[in-house]
Amino acid sequence: MLQCIFLLSDSGEVMLEKQLTGHRVDRSICAWFWDQADSFKSFPVIASPTHYLFQIVRDGITFLACTQVEMPPLMAIEFLCRVADVLSDYLGGLNEDLVKDNFIIVYELLDEMIDNGFPLTTEPNILREMIAPPNLVSKMLSVVTGNASNVSDTLPSGTGSCVPWRPTDPKYSSNEVYVDLVEEMDAIVNRDGELVKCEIYGQVQMSSQLTGFPDLTLSFANPSVLEDMRFHPCVRFRPWESHQILSFVPPDGQFKLMSYRVKKLKNTPLYVKPQITSDSGACRVSVLVGIRSDPEKTIESITLSFQLPHCVSSADLSSNHGTVTILSNKTCTWTIGRIPSDKTPCLSGTLALETGLERLHVYPTFKVGFKIMGIALSGLRIEKLDLKTIPPRLYKGFRAQTRAGEFDVRL
Amino acid sequence: MFNQFGSTAETLSKASAAVLRIGTDAHLYDDPEDVNIAPLLDSKFESEKCEALKRLLALIAQGFDVSNFFPQVVKNVASQSSEVKKLVYLYLLHYAEKRPNEALLSINYFQKDLGDPNPLVRAWALRTMAGIRLHVIAPLALAAVGKCARDPAVYVRKCAANALPKLHDLRLEEHAPSIEELVGILLNDHSPGVVGAAAAAFTCICPNNFKLIGKNYKKLCQILPDVEEWGQILLIGTLLRYVVARHGLVRESLMLSLHGLDSNGFYEKDGLVSDKGDGDKSDSFDANLVSLVSKCYIEGPDEYLSRSNCVDTVASSLDSKDTTSVGDNEDVKILLQCTSPLLWSNNSAVLLAAAGVQWIMAPLEDVKRIVKPLLFLLRSSTASKYVVLCNILVFAKAVPSLFAPHFEDFFICSSDAYQVKAHKLEMLSLIATTSSISSILREFEDYIKDPDRRFAADTVAAIGLCAKRLPEIPTACLNGLLALVKQESFAGDLELVDGEAGVLVQAVMSIQTIIERDPLSHEKVIIQLFRSLDSVKVAAARATIIWMVGVYCSLGHIIPKMLTTITKYLAWSFKSEASETKLQILNTAAKVLISGEVEDFQMLKKIVLYVLELGECDLNYDVRDRTRFLKKMLSYKLACHEPAEDSVASQENIAEHVVEHVFGRKLKPFSPLNLHNRFYLPGSLSQIVLHAAPGYEPLPKPCSFVFEEHDQLSDSDRQREAISDLNGSQESSETMDEDGSSEYDSESYNGSEFSSDGDERNEANDAADPLIQFSEITVSTDQEELRSKRALDLWLDEESSTSNQTPSALDRNQSSYAKISIGDIGSRVKPKSYTLLDPGNGNGLKIDYTFLSEVSTASPLHVCVEVLFQNSSTEPILEVNLEDEEAMNVSDSAEQTLVGKANASYNNVPTLIPMEELSCLEPGQSAKRLIQVRFHHHLLPMRLSLHYNGKKVPVKLRPDLGYLVKPYSITIQEFLATESRLPGMFEYSRRCTFTDHVKDTRMENGKDRFLSICESITLKVLSNSNLHLVSVDLPVANTLEDATGLRLRFSSKILSSEIPLLITITVQGKCNEDLNLTVKINCEETVFGLNLLNRIANFMVETSSLAS
Repeated sequence: MLQCIFLLSDSGEVMLEKQLTGHRVDRSICAWFWDQADSFKSFPVIASPTHYLFQIVRDGITFLACTQVEMPPLMAIEFLCRVADVLSDYLGGLNEDLVKDNFIIVYELLDEMIDNGFPLTTEPNILREMIAPPNLVSKMLSVVTGNASNVSDTLPSGTGSCVPWRPTDPKYSSNEVYVDLVEEMDAIVNRDGELVKCEIYGQVQMSSQLTGFPDLTLSFANPSVLEDMRFHPCVRFRPWESHQILSFVPPDGQFKLMSYRVKKLKNTPLYVKPQITSDSGACRVSVLVGIRSDPEKTIESITLSFQLPHCVSSADLSSNHGTVTILSNKTCTWTIGRIPSDKTPCLSGTLALETGLERLHVYPTFKVGFKIMGIALSGLRIEKLDLKTIPPRLYKGFRAQTRAGEFDVRL
Repeated sequence: MFNQFGSTAETLSKASAAVLRIGTDAHLYDDPEDVNIAPLLDSKFESEKCEALKRLLALIAQGFDVSNFFPQVVKNVASQSSEVKKLVYLYLLHYAEKRPNEALLSINYFQKDLGDPNPLVRAWALRTMAGIRLHVIAPLALAAVGKCARDPAVYVRKCAANALPKLHDLRLEEHAPSIEELVGILLNDHSPGVVGAAAAAFTCICPNNFKLIGKNYKKLCQILPDVEEWGQILLIGTLLRYVVARHGLVRESLMLSLHGLDSNGFYEKDGLVSDKGDGDKSDSFDANLVSLVSKCYIEGPDEYLSRSNCVDTVASSLDSKDTTSVGDNEDVKILLQCTSPLLWSNNSAVLLAAAGVQWIMAPLEDVKRIVKPLLFLLRSSTASKYVVLCNILVFAKAVPSLFAPHFEDFFICSSDAYQVKAHKLEMLSLIATTSSISSILREFEDYIKDPDRRFAADTVAAIGLCAKRLPEIPTACLNGLLALVKQESFAGDLELVDGEAGVLVQAVMSIQTIIERDPLSHEKVIIQLFRSLDSVKVAAARATIIWMVGVYCSLGHIIPKMLTTITKYLAWSFKSEASETKLQILNTAAKVLISGEVEDFQMLKKIVLYVLELGECDLNYDVRDRTRFLKKMLSYKLACHEPAEDSVASQENIAEHVVEHVFGRKLKPFSPLNLHNRFYLPGSLSQIVLHAAPGYEPLPKPCSFVFEEHDQLSDSDRQREAISDLNGSQESSETMDEDGSSEYDSESYNGSEFSSDGDERNEANDAADPLIQFSEITVSTDQEELRSKRALDLWLDEESSTSNQTPSALDRNQSSYAKISIGDIGSRVKPKSYTLLDPGNGNGLKIDYTFLSEVSTASPLHVCVEVLFQNSSTEPILEVNLEDEEAMNVSDSAEQTLVGKANASYNNVPTLIPMEELSCLEPGQSAKRLIQVRFHHHLLPMRLSLHYNGKKVPVKLRPDLGYLVKPYSITIQEFLATESRLPGMFEYSRRCTFTDHVKDTRMENGKDRFLSICESITLKVLSNSNLHLVSVDLPVANTLEDATGLRLRFSSKILSSEIPLLITITVQGKCNEDLNLTVKINCEETVFGLNLLNRIANFMVETSSLAS
């Protein structure tokens, strides 16, 4: 089981240490870790001379967990991810200052989340009841009175019930339940301009504020498009196996009901046509972006970013629409926004190669970003959402959006 | 202007950041020491204490040692504020091990909190108490865990399960059985949350105690989907290990598919091949590898080491009797059923664990159901992606066809981390088939142009691997690679980028792998490569090319003709080469010379001699060494004039043979099996780091666990469970002893004869409900807190003389005391008797036992126990005797003899001085016998075996703490003096109520009330323990109704250590009503004292009929 958790800032400083078992881990292990070469340090599982280290990096903060004995590595990693999620939820983001400013909350959370190296309470809704997240009121209170306890005196009711993710009897004057389909499109276009892979990774996100102990069923009009899925623990397996119906008692508040994958899509909503010619130490680049298949909704916040190869010494790029920025680390971002109706956005310019190089032999990969509100590109449709007992004043809402996930266009 | 704007923006953002920090603990983290922390800790305001603790935590977070504040922090453990409590606990857990003595001070508060009605407080107290890890308090912590394991709140029971590994960590040999018992109880809990935590405890504490699992295997399977995700991970593993140990591997599974058990054409009906269609039969799975994998899963490190000596013995060693089949084994079927929906779990670790079970246990045709869920995991976080890929790689190595249709999932995105990219490449080269290779190669072409050159080099290597696996494609690959070599050698010319050289070297190596398959048809490629040698500047690549020339120098028609030219070129370039290349030139020159198929042998000889001369004066000593070695070896060749000339001298013949062996050997086909021939269980840490991590355990040996099923067992078990639930609040020393999973292991176990059942029922009757006890303690909270705090202060400051520990509240009313003595009470003392065997279980034989106050004749460590045998049946019972069970075992196995001897020699006396055997007990007759027992531990029962009518029944003799002491007769002055030497942490007290006297005083109205109260208390105490009454203080100048101030003092010595133990009982309350007693114990042996204190408080509360 885990022996210790360290939180490191992006400069390698140990911000927090939480010893979990009697076998304490000296923080010199962090110095050892930080001194390793980057290529070695980036491994998620590292065998150091004294300990096995698991690490995840979130927003510049390294979560480092140590153990000396055999344990499922995914358990450690998954737990660290859960810690990072909970912390960024509590602190409204994650960065060095936020962690340091709220170190007491971080300590208290860690103490509730893990006991003797084994995860204890990780359900965010329950944690919120045990340790109040910092908010404006509590901050003001602590400024005025100098004291505001954020540790609850009572045990959350959910811990004892058979649905540990739900408080036993929440009460709402108006009952609301919203279902969001959030999809990400992963696509690879190879150097010949061919669509090699195109798939959707989607999530059904819900927000429920329902009184009592509601029993919901959610059904899809076309569940057969779903290739793979993973469910929140609240989803009952049987109804899904037999009828492809999601039957569950929802947690209170926001949660991710399921995630799914739809494979082998035929088309991307956008096309990106890059061209590059290089000769005698200089390259001409031109990239065209346009709508390939109209999704009938506006495609928003289109961006294109790529890393200039090392051998490029300087770049002069301009576009007829949107803005182009080149950062010092040679990351080039073209922010297009929406596609104008009158012209096709085009990025063009020249790259100067390092002296001595005639031609470019490595080519960058363009990462495409976009967002479409109101449509799920996978074609998945929600048929209906039913409640076993319908509470008074029930509002149901459905939304969908698609954005680009790992959308790579290779040059 | 922009500059200005920039600076304002900066200050703005600074300002907004400052606003955000208001109300947080930022200032505490930034300057934890800007105020003096110590006075804050002693403050009477919770908020100031809180701030001080936060500052301390900030210092801990920053890595400073603030353990010097320990005593002050410990005091605050009594705080009522939950936040202060939480912070103190955080601090305590961090430092308790460093400051064990001070940590002991907090024990009283934990004990008190454990009785709190708020489950959160109980849980916190338990977590912290078990977490401070001190050997001295381990028995108390264990008792607390035992109590909390039966707590009504799920959360507390869950924490109890989590606390077990903490106790186990202390390596308490004597408590191991009771810890395992508790694991069993918690595994049997009806709440999924508790079962999950218990599964974790099981994995830590006793991963091979399959009896515990066997008892409720089906229930655990059913509850599995409802268990919390973290518990699921470990429970899945546990269930898998149990099934393997109990039933062995599955005959239809992949693991055994090649062991020849199923010889009726497995390959033909193999679902994998026919399903996927495009995998040709030969690579549907790698037969040797699969059996190697399954062997690795089972064998421990010893077998592995012995196997590595003879690599070829991979073949099956498993017998068919160690296997089972899904069709007719219910347990396997349930396991597969309950784990398969977990393949949809949101938690990647659960998913991988479930996939591992399917991989090992599922029938061959069902294994493919793990593929899609596993691939879906590739869309999770970078870190878990890497771990999942490592595991998929093993699966794919064994059965490439499983993943072959899904090659697109392994295409690389630009955002993948380098390790992920490398693993994906390896995957692609593993699962490429004839139908997918063209798409894969097109992808590879793209990757070669990637700006990350290290990745590009890996891609080139992967191309080589693909070409090696699939014989059809080399030509296409070769051309591409040759073009690449050309292009790279051109680009590498500039050596602008570090990675560039790597790509080139890999390209040459890949070409070499392809040539190796069929050198003859690729003769031209070698020549082409050699021609490009001029432009190849990277030493490693040059060395490889030169090496190839050497190896294939006698190949085909063209190369032998060119050899002279080639050697000339090499000799010419020798001087300017890197030493790596120089070595290869030397080798190649030697090989060429030996091949003897050169047209101009004399010329060649001259060139070789020239090279050797150059080599001899090289700067690098490796090169010089190699040269001298070769010169000696080749001397015979260099001496002769014709290549084919037969040398006559036998000595030269030998040299020729040696040379032939060194250089003339053909390349051996390279077997990937030998590279990583160690696999670990899927999902384990060892599989990722590729060595057995400490604590890694392979699957148990198939069918190593024999489970004896008794139908009665489950029934009686349930019954016992119910009893133990009732029993929950029994005094701590007893709660932990009940239930004996250990009782099941005796071979002679017989379901109907439960020796200790009656005993337990007896206890259950007079047991109190758990909640009652909690409330009882809460009532007394305030007073106790006052007292303990005082004691603590005293101990810390060590200032005042502590002769009088009377609570100040009591001091007010009493000014003087009268000392009285109670004379003839001994005759009325009637020790309590316990049941050893219930007549219901013993065919009418009833056995009770009573602890005697007599001193044992055997040794000071022994306790005299009077055993009363009664025959309530209608037939006579013959040959009744009690024996020590351990002594029995000694004769049973040789292994245990050693242990037994060691024990015996250590103590020189047996643990049980046996009684005279009762030859016959007539119906209705009763007989008394005396036995003398030495208990190993003051809380653990002693196992005895009872023989009667030729039968043997295990029984448990429970120690009564009250009789593990002996009377210690001292005067009141000595008593007070001893007491004053044992203040602070050696003093503990508890409060309880006493009601016996009420009945008593009513009956004998004429008697003095105080006296009768004294008598009933004394009687009660002496009936339950072996003490010496030192004195009784009566309050004088008080109303006759008020018994407040009455004080009784008892003294004793602990049997085992002769340490004096003083007991003071102070009375409070009205004579006619229930009295409140404060029992105080002063003793150096803290743990024993605390346990005895609990025992006394418990028996004082019991209403007994003895007070007549």
